[in-house]
Amino acid sequence: MAADPAAADLAELRRPVRGRTTVGAVLQALAAVLSVTPAVVLVEIARRLLTGSGQAVWPLAWVAVGLLAARFVLYASASLLSHLADADLAYLLRRRLTEQLSGLPLSWFAGGVSARVRSTAQDDVATLHHAVAHARGDLASAVAGPLVVVGYLLWVDWPLALLTVVMVGAAQSIRTRVQVQAAEQMSRIAAANTELTAAVLETVRGISVVKTFAGGRGAARFAAAAADYVDADERAQRIFLRPRGLARATVAPATVVFAVTAVGTGLVAAGWSDPVDLVAFTLLAVGLFEQLTPIYLAQDLRESAQGAAGRIGELLRGPRQPAVEPARARAVGAPLTVEFDDVHFGYQEGHRVVRGVSATLEPGTVTALVGPSGAGKSTLAMLLARFADVSEGAIRLGGVDLRDLERDELYRHVGFLLQDAVLLRRSIRDNIALPVPDATEEAVRAAARAAAVDDRILALPRGYDSVAGEDAVLSGGEAQRVAIARTLLAGTPVVVLDEATAFADPDSEAAIQDALAELATGRTLLVIAHRLYTVTEADQILVLDEGRVVERGRHDDLLAAGGRYAQLWRAQQGSEL
Amino acid sequence: MTDPLRGLIPADQHRPLGRYLAAVAAYAVSEGVAFGVLVPLLIALLDGRTTTAAWWLIPLTAAAGVGWFAHYYLGSRALRLSSAWRRALYGRIGDKLVTLPLGWFDGPRAGQVPQLIVGDVARVASTVFLVQALLGAVLTPATIAVFLLAYDWRVGLAALLVVPVVLAALSVGRRLTERTEAANHAATAEAGSRLVEFAGAQPTLRATGNAAAGRVGLDEALAAQHRAARREIVGSLPGEYLGELGIQLAFTALLLTGLALATDHDLAPARMIAVVVLGISLLRPLDALVGLGGVLRACQASAGRIDDLLEVEPLPEPAAGQPVGDAGIELVDVRFGYPGGPDVLTGLTLTIPAGRTTALVGASGSGKTTVTKLIARFHDVAAGSVRVGGVDVRELTSAELLSHLALVFQDVYLFDATLEDNIRFGNPDATAEQVRDAARRAQVDSIVARLPDGWASRVGEGGRLLSGGERQRVAIARALCKDAPIVLLDEATASLDTENEAAVHAALAELAVHRTVLVIAHRLDTIVRADQIAVLDGGRVVECGPHAELLAQDGRYAAFWRERGRARGWRLHAGERLDREPADQASP
Repeated sequence: MAADPAAADLAELRRPVRGRTTVGAVLQALAAVLSVTPAVVLVEIARRLLTGSGQAVWPLAWVAVGLLAARFVLYASASLLSHLADADLAYLLRRRLTEQLSGLPLSWFAGGVSARVRSTAQDDVATLHHAVAHARGDLASAVAGPLVVVGYLLWVDWPLALLTVVMVGAAQSIRTRVQVQAAEQMSRIAAANTELTAAVLETVRGISVVKTFAGGRGAARFAAAAADYVDADERAQRIFLRPRGLARATVAPATVVFAVTAVGTGLVAAGWSDPVDLVAFTLLAVGLFEQLTPIYLAQDLRESAQGAAGRIGELLRGPRQPAVEPARARAVGAPLTVEFDDVHFGYQEGHRVVRGVSATLEPGTVTALVGPSGAGKSTLAMLLARFADVSEGAIRLGGVDLRDLERDELYRHVGFLLQDAVLLRRSIRDNIALPVPDATEEAVRAAARAAAVDDRILALPRGYDSVAGEDAVLSGGEAQRVAIARTLLAGTPVVVLDEATAFADPDSEAAIQDALAELATGRTLLVIAHRLYTVTEADQILVLDEGRVVERGRHDDLLAAGGRYAQLWRAQQGSEL
Repeated sequence: MTDPLRGLIPADQHRPLGRYLAAVAAYAVSEGVAFGVLVPLLIALLDGRTTTAAWWLIPLTAAAGVGWFAHYYLGSRALRLSSAWRRALYGRIGDKLVTLPLGWFDGPRAGQVPQLIVGDVARVASTVFLVQALLGAVLTPATIAVFLLAYDWRVGLAALLVVPVVLAALSVGRRLTERTEAANHAATAEAGSRLVEFAGAQPTLRATGNAAAGRVGLDEALAAQHRAARREIVGSLPGEYLGELGIQLAFTALLLTGLALATDHDLAPARMIAVVVLGISLLRPLDALVGLGGVLRACQASAGRIDDLLEVEPLPEPAAGQPVGDAGIELVDVRFGYPGGPDVLTGLTLTIPAGRTTALVGASGSGKTTVTKLIARFHDVAAGSVRVGGVDVRELTSAELLSHLALVFQDVYLFDATLEDNIRFGNPDATAEQVRDAARRAQVDSIVARLPDGWASRVGEGGRLLSGGERQRVAIARALCKDAPIVLLDEATASLDTENEAAVHAALAELAVHRTVLVIAHRLDTIVRADQIAVLDGGRVVECGPHAELLAQDGRYAAFWRERGRARGWRLHAGERLDREPADQASP
């Protein structure tokens, strides 16, 4: 079992509550054993009444009532214990996962991982429910219950007991065989299901295209996929009709009652059996098959739990950004110069995106990164914001390697504004004051005014108390300005800026640009530039190509040099109006 | 079967379903009869009358035989019925989807369709199987109850009196469960959305330099989810065990009544034992009834959701349309608002001349997109009218109207097929030459050159293998291929890289030749070159005319133009306050 990594993940994740689930399983098994009480007591009462031995029957009845009450208590407490353990474990795992998320490098979050995070931390953790709260208890009672029943029946009348076991065993073996065949059919059904889902998505998302361009014939893929899906399912089910019907008929209550009474009557006539024994069989043999069902159902549930555990384990094992050893941790020095010292970086081994970049960003200056797409502009800028760590070389802030700075210390000095402004589902005030939670009302308003968004916020239904995404529905440009206000309030002396931010929303370009101009004042800026004319005034332009700085200098000098920059400049001027 | 479910049964399946239900009922009764016959058989055996007992085996054999036949017959019937039901539902939903107003697909319910198709249809069809279990859990105990009362009304009554108690306990328990369940559901949804936010906003949260503060919302939501989960466990305990307790009470009542009667010599011991065995057999299936009720409710909810979709009214259409004149468009005093929202258009009048380009400009939320959607009849106007070629769009069939239009919206949907197929989709009858020509004019040939498989390259689900600018160029090629006289266009706002911007622009210029173009314009040169510019504000056209004329008016458009002109010349400058310290730098 340990050889299977998915099973190992599951065992590892369950460990914190193993004690409680084991106790729960024992209690549940005891409860299952006690469920034979009514039958056993009734048989005993029948024996005493019919033999006329005069033995008291009432005490037996009271014992039965007492044992049933005990069973009830055992059952309920087993369930309570294991379900609470499950809830506690889910909470524990979700906290471990969020803790892990805060430790992953920011580059991990690129490209939309929210859906994956949600499905792992919520859905996959929930999928463990059966494995944690039920698996052990169900297995224990599905083994203990039938064992006691069969043991008792063997003790009462072994030939009839054997008959019962054969019938139940036959049905169970058919059921197992059908399940194996079903697994083969399942992949075919799953494929048809995937195609149907894709066809539905296409129909729903592309409906306007379908209707405007193709008249009414666009739903053809959906119709075909739906027909295939039903056909595949029906064909698979048809194969199982006969064996399933046979298995169910074999253990149907009427069949079991018929078999034990028919054989039993013969045995009584032959003088081998006591008629009272038959009472035990009519009560206990009927439900025996159903008691085995949890084992049979558990297979699928265990597989999905293992799949979920595998995904949770994978996320928990993801490479964390190394934390600074307290002994090495240093404070940012002065002056706040940024140095790129022979920086190399690649997301994968052997594929370097940045290859030996050295540059110095003097405090209060604007440095622009230009170059064709794929030259490494964004990657280099992101390294300063420590979205990932350099593969070779170093980036220093005020003389200190970024890797020797505590994370919060780094981000108190380095801010960034990227193309997609993110607002949290909190009040606009909290969104602006995120970096400085105890900022005064006046400071927040001042930042918003400087970011040219104060008027717009005041026009919201509840002003600064409006909650983003609820009663504050902001356009892209407005959200961008709130993000700028946030960065202004944070007052980080170094800012990494994507110039495309200035053009994120054509309806409010000028306002965003005013806000950015305010931000540029007095700060060290590293700008990822797409449109060259916006950075003609930069103090320093680094021209990147294939991860290297091929030219550097001011606009006029670079233009005069007639090199790569001059080429890029001419190309862009040509495509302009 | 209850209402929303019954309404969805396909018309041609009523008879087979009736026969099936009758067979299910007959089988359920036969199971009860088997237990009923067991009583005289057991009494005879216990009394030592073995031959009498053997005679009773005959009806028992018959009952068991019915079961053997029923299990195969019912399984095959049920499979056929449920498959037919699924086919009929898929057919109805598929037909429905193409008649729904296009605007419906912009709404919140469109997102539920995949779940509806994959999950709900199967669940509704599975009621056929469910009903077998359900009828079994009701009719078998009912049959046994009749036997029980006939054999000994006192013991029967003792057991049956408990049944209403059990059912009441079950419903009380269920209500308790539902309440805590709903609370847990809400807490889980909240925690889920906080998680998405936490992951999506991770750069923003870390940038605050205050890692702990960023986690507060999520930590609270997770703790609340944990509390709600624990509360649900405790809250659902009665629901789960009250029924069980009731069944045990019934057994106790049965046993004690039987014993009391036997010790008072009112009932022969053998008869008492047999009757109690029968009583226990009656109680056994009741347990299953509890779970089945929950499943049935889930099926009804699914049926309700499907029913809601099938009930959506299509926009009324004439049987035959009218001939459309030229390719001009008129909007006359149009009022329109989205369901539950304020009016977006408040008396908008605009004439879009045939063969010319009209640009719509205005702040976000001024109704630009709504205008294009009303022309394509995604929705119907609340008042006023939209006319294409002089004919009200409500007097055209949707096929006719759409045959005149080509839509190039911002979020263009491409099918997971080759580039060529996606362009040809505009006009299935186009020759290979026409497709290539459209592609060349829309600058798609440079995409073809970039991709490994050239024309045969697949574009991925929704076109995700292409960039936004490339997707729009393919959509333009598709429109060129269709060669419709009217083009409704939403220019991309996302900042395209300069190379793509030039290509898209050239493609748009091609599209504008000889066609009526209505463009939601963002690029300044698109606006300047339009034959007519309509400025929207507050759901009306406040200014309309060519660029030079509007500038001369020095009104809203002139102000807009100056603002945009200022934005265009924008440059980043280094600041002058070089020595400024961060305002609130925390001391390390």
